[in-house]
Parts: sequence; C-alpha cells; structure tokens
Amino acid sequence: MFDPKDIIENIADNVRVTHNPFGLNKEGFNTWWKEVDVPATGDALLFTGLMYQLVPYIKAATGYLEKYEDKPMAKYLKYGKFIPKTVANMGLQKIASQDEKLKTATTLGNMVKILKASDVSFFYDHDLDEYSGVLLYDLGDQEGFENHARFVAKKLQSAGIKKLITVDPHTTYALKVLYPKITGISFEVQTWFEVADLAGKAEHGEITLHDPCFYGRYLEVSDAPRAALNKAGVNCTEINNNGSFTNCCGGPAESVSPKLADEVGLRRVAELQATGKPIVALCPICMVNLEKCGADVVDLSSVLVDAI
Amino acid sequence: MTKISPQFAEDLKQYGEDTALECFNCGTCVAICPLIDGSFPRKLIRYVQIGAKDRILLNRNELWKCLHCGLCSESCPRGADPGGILLSLKRYAVASWRKS
Ligand code: SF4
Ligand code: SF4
Repeated sequence: MFDPKDIIENIADNVRVTHNPFGLNKEGFNTWWKEVDVPATGDALLFTGLMYQLVPYIKAATGYLEKYEDKPMAKYLKYGKFIPKTVANMGLQKIASQDEKLKTATTLGNMVKILKASDVSFFYDHDLDEYSGVLLYDLGDQEGFENHARFVAKKLQSAGIKKLITVDPHTTYALKVLYPKITGISFEVQTWFEVADLAGKAEHGEITLHDPCFYGRYLEVSDAPRAALNKAGVNCTEINNNGSFTNCCGGPAESVSPKLADEVGLRRVAELQATGKPIVALCPICMVNLEKCGADVVDLSSVLVDAI
Repeated sequence: MTKISPQFAEDLKQYGEDTALECFNCGTCVAICPLIDGSFPRKLIRYVQIGAKDRILLNRNELWKCLHCGLCSESCPRGADPGGILLSLKRYAVASWRKS
C-alpha cells in the first residue's frame, strides 16, 4: 500500500492546477468528439465528466504503481508532487495506450449513436465538459472537492445549463447528489441509459450485468439498464449480489493499493463468471479493474448500439 | 496507552458523520465487507465510540483500504453508516496532517 498522504496531495495539487487528477492538459486527452458526429445544440448537455477519457491514463498510472507497491522505491512517489506538471503530463501521455484511447472514443461514440437513435435532444460542448472532482471526495479531501465542485457548477450555471446527461456512476453521483448540497446549484441529471429508448434486437441474447456500487446502492437506478437491455431484446442472467447488494469491483482501491484492488476484483470476477454469460459493465473504473482481474467485459453501450 | 475521549464521536460530526454511537458491535459490516480483513470496519467504529483518536491516526493508512462501496451501510441493522464513518475519518486524517 502507498502512503495515502502522498497520493492524495498529488491528486489534490493536480486538480487545483489542471482541473483533472493526472495533471493533464484537457485539450490533449479529451479528443473523442473530434471523431464523432455529435449535435452542437440541444436541450441537455452530454456531460462525460472525462472519466472514460482518463481510462488510458488510469491504466498507465496503475501499471507504474503496481511495479513499486511495497518496494523501497515507493517512498520517492512523494516527490511526484514537485515534478513540473508538463513533465508528468508528457510521461503519462507517452505511456497511455493508443488502443485504449480508441476504445474510449468508440464507447462514447456508441452512447451518442444510441441517444440520437432514441430521439433525445442533447448536445456536446468540450469546453463545458469537466472532471467532477469525485476522486477527491472519495479520498477524503473534502476541501479540495468543494473548491473544484464550485468551479464546475459555476461554469455550467454561467453557460445556462439546466439539464445534464451523464455517462458514469461517479460523475452522476457527484452532479446529482453532492453538487446541490455543496454548491447550492442544481441540475436535472439523468444517465444516458435512463434516457435511451431503443426497441430492437441486439446481438447479445443473454448477459450478466455488473452493477456499480454508485448506481446500485447510492443512486438506486439498477432497474434502468435492465429495462433498456430488455427493450433491446437482451436478457440479464442475475447473480445474487446485484442491485443494491452489488459487490464492489475493487477499482476504488487502485490509487492507493493495486494489490488490494486485485484481491477484491478477483472475487467479484468469480461471481460474475459463474453464469457463463458475457459480462457487461456500466462504469469505466469497473471496466478497468474487472478486465485487469482477467474478465472479458463489454460496456453496456456496445451491447445496446447493436439494436439500432 | 490509548487515551479515551468520549467527545470524539461528537467532534466527528464536523467531518460529516454522526451515526457511530448507533453501532452495537454486531459485526454484520465485518462479515459483509468485500475486504475480508480482520475486524474491518467495526474496529474503527469502536475506536470512534471510545474516542481512540491516537490509534486512528497512528494506523491512518488503513482507512484508505475502504472502497467506499457502501455495502456495510446498506446492511447495518442499527442504521449506522460505517462506510460514511470511514469517509469522515479519512477527512479527519487529511485535516490532521494538513494542520501539522
Ligand atoms: S453492522 Fe452496524 S451495528 Fe453492526 S458492527 Fe457494523 S456498524 Fe455496528
Ligand atoms: S464501505 Fe468500506 S468498510 Fe464498508 S463494506 Fe465497503 S469497503 Fe467495507
């Protein structure tokens, strides 16, 4: 396990300076929309919270952390704080895989196709799309989270945004539950699969869904992905630990202990694999950790997009 | 020797959580926690109840083992919120090192 103090102060510094946890330049990593035909005007802002876009960097950083966990070198990590942002940025930029970046563009592109086919009035503006700061909340840096939340909420408010369509559970929870309490600014927040409305015949006939903790317990929206799947002709083979009693994928431990994330993730993968059906995830963090633990996992968007 | 401070559960409210005194130490949260790790998280709830601040801060790293998954809070028969208490303790620990 790494010293959480080093990790948290690093992430807090990065969010303060660059508004994202890895100290990256947003223009450099939020590029998916350039490849996708996405509406520029509409009722609701598609607010990705940049989580899917950060996956290539999460994977690259986890690879580093895994190498040094519980090794004497781990203590040098604290000096990461003093590495100039641009150097850290270039390092991660280099090792983040191109394939992963493409995968992100495909996943978000599929969501756009589904929303369009569902006749949802929405638009995307890369300038308004920001990281929610939710990792700071989860790690206990409440002050850092609150400052960042105010920055994002005010930016959206100034642009006249009222409705948001979100794509991952962590960002959804932050915007729907935490932001109104902290900033006093509220938006109408719905996830992409709650507004999706596709009747058809998807390729997958039967799947097993991994409910993320935030959708299953904190937001209680587990019925929505099942309803969307059923409408698209896909059945869910259920496991015991689902919905509000879902088991964690282990991903949240990734930043302080990849080992612990693996232990928890392997147990979850065994539960999911027991059905013998394809495993479907709805969250980029779940996706990363379940895959790292040996599971073949597809994103919900790639299952539903077939029904168009 | 551990210093007992019954006031601590009250003090922790400023970091967000006030359910620690509801806990009657049944261990349901330990049994259900995906970490499967000794007496985690019940031990920490007990530390809050008796106000063993020094023990919490001395072993502060273990607070971050908690995934904030919420399964313990969903299952607690007393309506305590162990996951929320752990999050408050993380905030308390962060505030402590930033003060020092
Ligand atoms: S489940 Fe609730 S009452 Fe039981 S030990 Fe845990 S916190 Fe206490
Ligand atoms: S919230 Fe933390 S303590 Fe509670 S079950 Fe999840 S990992 Fe265990």
